[in-house]
Amino acid sequence: MRGLRGRLRILAGIVILVAIVVAILDPQAAFNAVQLPLFALFSTTRMVLAYLLSLVFAITFGATAATNKRAAVIMLPLLDVLQSVPILGFFPAALVFFVVTFQGSPVGIELAVTFLIFTSMAWNMAFGVYESLTTIPVDLEAAAASFGLRGMLRFRLLALPAAIPKLVYNSILSWSNGWFFLVASETFTAFGGTYTRPGLGSFITNAGIAGDATGIALGIGVLAAVVLALDTFVWRPLGVWSERFRMETTGHEVPRAPSPYERFRWLPRFPRLRRTFRTAIQPVVTKYHRASVRLDRTYSAHPQVLRDIRYVDLAMFVAILALVVVVGVLGLARLFLSRLPDAAAELPRAAASSFIRLGLAYGIALAWTIPMAAWIGRSPRGSRYITPVLEVAASLPATALLPIIVGFALIVTASLGPAAELSAILIALFSMQWYLLFNLIAGVRGIPEDLEEAARSFGLRGRAYWRRVLLPAMVPSLLTGSITAWGAGWNALIVSEYIPFLSPPPHVSGLGYLLDIATFRKPLPDNEMILLTILTMIVIVLAMNKLLWRPLYKRAAVKYRVEV
Amino acid sequence: MEAPLLEVKDVTKSYFENGKEFKVLDLIRFELAERDFVCVVGPSGCGKSTLLRIIVGLEPPTSGQVLFEGSPIRADNPQVAMVFQSFALFPWLTVTQNVELGLEAQGISPEDRHGRARKFIDAVGLTGFENAFPRELSGGMKQRVGLARALAIEPLLLCMDEPFSSLDPLTAQNLRDEILQLWANPDLPPKAVLMVTHSIEEAVYLADRVIVLSSRPGHMVAELEIDLPRPRNRKEPEFYGWIDEIYSLIV
Repeated sequence: MRGLRGRLRILAGIVILVAIVVAILDPQAAFNAVQLPLFALFSTTRMVLAYLLSLVFAITFGATAATNKRAAVIMLPLLDVLQSVPILGFFPAALVFFVVTFQGSPVGIELAVTFLIFTSMAWNMAFGVYESLTTIPVDLEAAAASFGLRGMLRFRLLALPAAIPKLVYNSILSWSNGWFFLVASETFTAFGGTYTRPGLGSFITNAGIAGDATGIALGIGVLAAVVLALDTFVWRPLGVWSERFRMETTGHEVPRAPSPYERFRWLPRFPRLRRTFRTAIQPVVTKYHRASVRLDRTYSAHPQVLRDIRYVDLAMFVAILALVVVVGVLGLARLFLSRLPDAAAELPRAAASSFIRLGLAYGIALAWTIPMAAWIGRSPRGSRYITPVLEVAASLPATALLPIIVGFALIVTASLGPAAELSAILIALFSMQWYLLFNLIAGVRGIPEDLEEAARSFGLRGRAYWRRVLLPAMVPSLLTGSITAWGAGWNALIVSEYIPFLSPPPHVSGLGYLLDIATFRKPLPDNEMILLTILTMIVIVLAMNKLLWRPLYKRAAVKYRVEV
Repeated sequence: MEAPLLEVKDVTKSYFENGKEFKVLDLIRFELAERDFVCVVGPSGCGKSTLLRIIVGLEPPTSGQVLFEGSPIRADNPQVAMVFQSFALFPWLTVTQNVELGLEAQGISPEDRHGRARKFIDAVGLTGFENAFPRELSGGMKQRVGLARALAIEPLLLCMDEPFSSLDPLTAQNLRDEILQLWANPDLPPKAVLMVTHSIEEAVYLADRVIVLSSRPGHMVAELEIDLPRPRNRKEPEFYGWIDEIYSLIV
């Protein structure tokens, strides 16, 4: 072991020497190289902050909705809407709010960025907590009650552990979402100026503006490294650990969603480094444990205080909710009572062209992901080489790939018009395709062995095999993937239909474009148009969810479910 | 006269659905004294489990009352412990932590908890598995943990809801005998046992007294004193006599 450490020390020395030489020869490159890790740190810090906020929110919201039936009546539909609405649509509004409140100071922009990432992380986590808490087996609840578990003790021993598997699972999804929005929000042009916060996202975007190919590659490379490192050292260990909290009675889980901590299996696992890390955080964990026991004591000693706190909590929630509802209703009423702005006439056409664009991207995604999933899912040898490539590509948010996609579109098509159209479709494709691919792979892998063997023994091959085994088995996961993919697609619209950092800015007609114009390209944000555009999106998304996906899903769940 | 350990007074339970009343339990009435081993037997769907949930205070009765030592029962009463058909072990806690559950809720110090948990883990024969997680145990071992967890709070009354129904017959028979041994040991809790089962044979094998329920709505058909000497022999004609009698009462 000492040999390795010695060699590492020599290596570090060489790296430092090379770095000094490079710094003397090319100060600019050295500056970039020093900057990048720092930028990565800034971006990751933003993500961590937003994540901690989401975690607190998810646990309180989910626990309240699960335990308070009256509150749940309002909270669940609210969550349903928030979860299915294109979050990026709120970004302009949030930005205006924070930038105006803090008069353009960096604090306001940081808050806006953190808030945006929060909105992309929080909802599915809250749903996860709610679902876990409402599906705790009856007997376990009864055992907790009959052995006298109450308050903090019940939370620590029953509720929190029960929520952990879904919380970890959803956290991984939330981090993928978060990177997408982080990159989209670290730099933006508005109110006649460009606001930039130092970070990986802004680094990539700025490199894109400058046409600096090395910079783009470096930025994306570092981003990929950060994502992979977090997965290796945080999410996969957490995923393994969370298995301990899974209930033994495996319910019929439809759909067979892919487990996100299954990815990156090919990466080295660094057991020693991990153990060191675990020993390092052990004191903190112990301290937390002791503190929570002490809190239990204080907590259960004053039931009256507790009840008061709960009432204040509830009152605050009701007050805030009432405020939001009243303001919203008043705003809507004013909007529809007065004459609609002229620009509103463009809404139907914009909605249609956005929809067609997403449909096209969805079609392209289906065309390649179905055969690819069928191949990867059934050929372990082939997948060993292709899976790492796909997983790294999928771990990069589409927003980070924006400069590459736009550049590619500019090279392929000569004039700006079709280039803008092509890049918009490509960005939507990159946002949508991975959800389809990995869900479909999970669907194919989920085909029970004996079903496969039965098919083989009856000589099912070629088209018959596809029609009778493969495609039906894919249907549930295809639907799950489609719902998520379309959600991501609507978000992509907002970054893809108007690309402000090129001049002249290429754009295509669509809802994302309208939203962008209404928010940023006028001296003052056009509130009416912002609201109308977001409303149009919400209506379309909810209509698709309720009228298309959910009915299809219900039928598929009955017909195509494979009993395991 | 001192109040009996447990009094079930005219307990009735109804569920309401779309304004319609579904009666599940009708006027259940019996008492339990110290040293009693009582089994409630009935066909599936007669509301036995609901009755037990009401008796331990997990559900309120629609009318009637359950008194424990003269006062209304509460779910978190530390004198009453429960064993579940599905074991209801916390999958994220070790055997010791599961057994300590009720003690922790009572605010007993970690040292005392460990000592008591070890004593009852030994008593149910799980020595050496203190740090195992439930998923690593067989069904019979899991139910031993469930039993140790219930005994650890040293209850006066032990309530069991079909505790052996999810076990294989051999394991179940071993556990039955062990329960009888534990119960016969005056140094160990509990003072009385109330068990719900659908197996007539099990009831006759274990109980001093069998309460027979019939279904729709669940009502009491008979309360029988089983006066067979222990250990009971399943091959004796008297044993069969009791089974036949209860069987005919239910059908």
